[in-house]
Amino acid sequence: MKITLPALGLAGLLVLAGCGGNLGSDGDSGSTAAYPERAVTLLIGQDAGGSTDLIGRALADPASKDLGKPITVQNRPGANGAVAAKELAAAKPDGYTIMVFVGSLAYITPLAVPADQAVDVNNYEVVTGISQDDFVLVANPRTGFKTVQGIVAAKRPITFATTGVGTGSQLTQTLLFAQAGVQATAVPFNGGAPALTAVLGGQVDVAAVQLGEAKEQIEAGKAVPLVTFATQRPSYMPDIPTATEAGFNVPVQQSRAVVAPKGTPKEVVDRLRTAFQKGFADQAYKDFNAKRLLTANEVDGAALLQQWNGSLQTYRGLVAQHKIDLSAK
Amino acid sequence: MSSVIDGFAVVLEPTNLLYCLVGVVIGMLIGVLPGLGPAATIAILLPVTFGLEPVTAVIMLAGIFYGAQYGGTITSVLLRLPGEASSVVTVFDGHALARQGRAGAALGIAAIGSFVGGTLSIIALTLVAPVVAGFALDFGPPEYTVLALLGIMLVSTISSGGRIRALTAAAIGLLLATVGRDDFTSAERFTFGNLSLADGIDFVPIAMGLFGLGEILYNLEERHRAVQAPTKVTNVWPSRADLRQSSGAIGRGSVIGFVLGILPGGGAVLSSLAAYALEKRRSKHPERFGQGAIEGVAAPETANNAAATSSFIPLLSLGIPANATMAVIFGALLIQGVTPGPQLVTEHPELFWGVVNSMYLGNVLLLIMSIPLLGVFVRILRVRAAVLAPITVLITLVGAYTVNNSVFDIGLVIGFGVLGYLMKKAGFDPGPMVLAFVLGSLLETSLRRSLLLFDGDLTGFLSRPISGVLAAAFLAVILLPLARTLLRRRHPDPAGSAVTEPGDPAVTAVASRPSASAEIVGSGAAADPFGPASPEAGDTGAAVAPGPSAATSGERQGPGTASAESPGTASAESSGEAAGEHAVRDKTATTSTEAAGRPHDEPGQSGAPVTQPVHRDRHTEEPE
Repeated sequence: MKITLPALGLAGLLVLAGCGGNLGSDGDSGSTAAYPERAVTLLIGQDAGGSTDLIGRALADPASKDLGKPITVQNRPGANGAVAAKELAAAKPDGYTIMVFVGSLAYITPLAVPADQAVDVNNYEVVTGISQDDFVLVANPRTGFKTVQGIVAAKRPITFATTGVGTGSQLTQTLLFAQAGVQATAVPFNGGAPALTAVLGGQVDVAAVQLGEAKEQIEAGKAVPLVTFATQRPSYMPDIPTATEAGFNVPVQQSRAVVAPKGTPKEVVDRLRTAFQKGFADQAYKDFNAKRLLTANEVDGAALLQQWNGSLQTYRGLVAQHKIDLSAK
Repeated sequence: MSSVIDGFAVVLEPTNLLYCLVGVVIGMLIGVLPGLGPAATIAILLPVTFGLEPVTAVIMLAGIFYGAQYGGTITSVLLRLPGEASSVVTVFDGHALARQGRAGAALGIAAIGSFVGGTLSIIALTLVAPVVAGFALDFGPPEYTVLALLGIMLVSTISSGGRIRALTAAAIGLLLATVGRDDFTSAERFTFGNLSLADGIDFVPIAMGLFGLGEILYNLEERHRAVQAPTKVTNVWPSRADLRQSSGAIGRGSVIGFVLGILPGGGAVLSSLAAYALEKRRSKHPERFGQGAIEGVAAPETANNAAATSSFIPLLSLGIPANATMAVIFGALLIQGVTPGPQLVTEHPELFWGVVNSMYLGNVLLLIMSIPLLGVFVRILRVRAAVLAPITVLITLVGAYTVNNSVFDIGLVIGFGVLGYLMKKAGFDPGPMVLAFVLGSLLETSLRRSLLLFDGDLTGFLSRPISGVLAAAFLAVILLPLARTLLRRRHPDPAGSAVTEPGDPAVTAVASRPSASAEIVGSGAAADPFGPASPEAGDTGAAVAPGPSAATSGERQGPGTASAESPGTASAESSGEAAGEHAVRDKTATTSTEAAGRPHDEPGQSGAPVTQPVHRDRHTEEPE
């Protein structure tokens, strides 16, 4: 008798632990519709709580309403999503396993890792694009930098924080300073928050981070925005010039898309796309996008592949032209 | 000031009260589960918060975070499974106490320490948050480098095993930290082309394997040799003597936790480590640490809770998330339309003070919940090992899986479990390995970042005020004991005075044989109330030691005296260890020796009449 209480408790905890990863189990399986008959798993290749994770969860909720079955989010973090992408490639192409694919994995990571570790997005069926994140270059106010020209005019070597190797943050700044002829040292951090902290603390001169990460610090005057790397001025920061306007060719964004394994039937992909489009129209999701300063990029699969393949080609060209090696110190 | 009081009004709204309770209950539960951490839980629960007011949502999410710190202690103490890096240190003495049947005292003191640490930290947060927030920004890569160095040096001093073994284990831990894609060049290091290793090894599989599974495997072998009764559970609540003994540790732990908790990244781990090391250093009987010293539980548990609270400061006053959980709460606030940043206090005072003040309530709720819950949890130890061990293995493996939903991590747990078993057989403590592993990546990335910033110039560390001072402190801590040892060589002291110094780092042990053996004398003496080297313990211990205790202490006196008789020789060390191993193997002997050892382990206890009969009962129950 003495055993039962703690043993029961332990058993209960076990059940809880098992449920932790995938809340919302399959509903009744007696449904007659062809697809979906059960819950769809949405893999996310980043940690729970990161931007990609939050986007995936914000979208999974309204999209599942249209689908009529739950979309359960599962994080498979590792190697900027390469671990999840590998798992997806091996999954059955039946539409029950899909994934949020980050653009940097498709068009920036290949510039920094050996060819056999690069993931090619063309080996997947793209369901839909999701949204784009723009980068902004911010400086510590004490540096006195207000524009990129200001950095050039200072005629001194500078240090810049990146959010990691093989990220948009690294590529944007490396290209910018190469084109501006500024002698700059990259200091990689793990993610946007530590990189921004290094700017605020004055440990580095500048950093490129995503708009949403820097917004509040810019408004508080703790960080000075110099330039954004968007194609056109983002509506959230109308006063800040783009890199193109400042005379540099650095068209780099982070982008995200939903992909399914190669060979998923077309009608299943179409059904998923319809569900996600209903999700995009949801007011709560729209508010989420606005608050995180994300730009909608809800294009279809063909258009997205064209964007991303184009980006990879452009970056390869730029990196070769400026003799940049992203994986060098 | 009025906004502070308005904050209390916010907390007292029934909805907020309810969600505060929900938050701390969930937090405590997931804290108990190894694996699933607060960051992942909050991310999963995020959709639930969409329909709530921002302040209600954050009150609940904050509750999950600090509630998990309370819960994390329970598995560390009972099953030797630290769920978070910041409770690794708790395992050392917490589990030793549990083996002595004093799990209740350990958990109780941890709950009280957590409550005091958390509450003091909130008060400090209320008073000085805006002032100290900038402190987080002054810590750049050079400061973290020196801090991590200090931490790794502390690791070698807090281990209960020999110094050389601790350093060896720590070195392996540092090596393990290098596994994965290089953060600076993305070159593969020790990944063997395996993508699952590209981001390095997670803390959870290492800790679960080395501590939890290794312990179970080792016990399996022990049981094969001698039938082992489940540990008797006594003292479900800490005695007054325990409280008196821990009060200083709790106070100092609160301060250390608050200060280091403000630092983004690694603050909680470093604070628990520093608090433990400080207590061991201050203690008159440092040799008790690792054998079940109640302060060894009180200090780190207080510190990590104080740190959990103060880690809200950078988020709420600067908009910088200090750790993964804070990053998710940051995301939750964004979804709610509140962007945490420098203006949060002025723009949303009700949110800021509502959340801060809810933590007072949450801490009280956790303390109240702890009282009945600890009684239940402690009874887990009454479960026969044949039942408990498989369940623990299952929890461990499921827990490791939930972190990254990765089957590979389950394999890692098993691999590290085998390693933990072999280490234990060879007399290695896994503690330094796990802690060095945690600090290793902080040290490496900070050092390399610093060198990039300094353009490769090492003197750069001395040119910055904070890192310069810390570096000087680091050198002083290393050099002082060395100098003291040299002095002592010239003027030899009686063995008794050496007992107070064993907190010295490895250098002492390497440089001076006499000091190392004096320590062994010390620990031998501590197990024996009539030992030559601990007169203060003898005063109280001898007065209360009951008959049976004297008999068992005689049993232990053999090896203890042997080492006392041969100071300055290498054999003293090995004989001391052999005595320890012998005591562990013979389970019945262990329980009774420990019970006998207790009155003089904690001299204060002689004044507590409540606990006294308990020892006697246990002795009469258990035949020798």
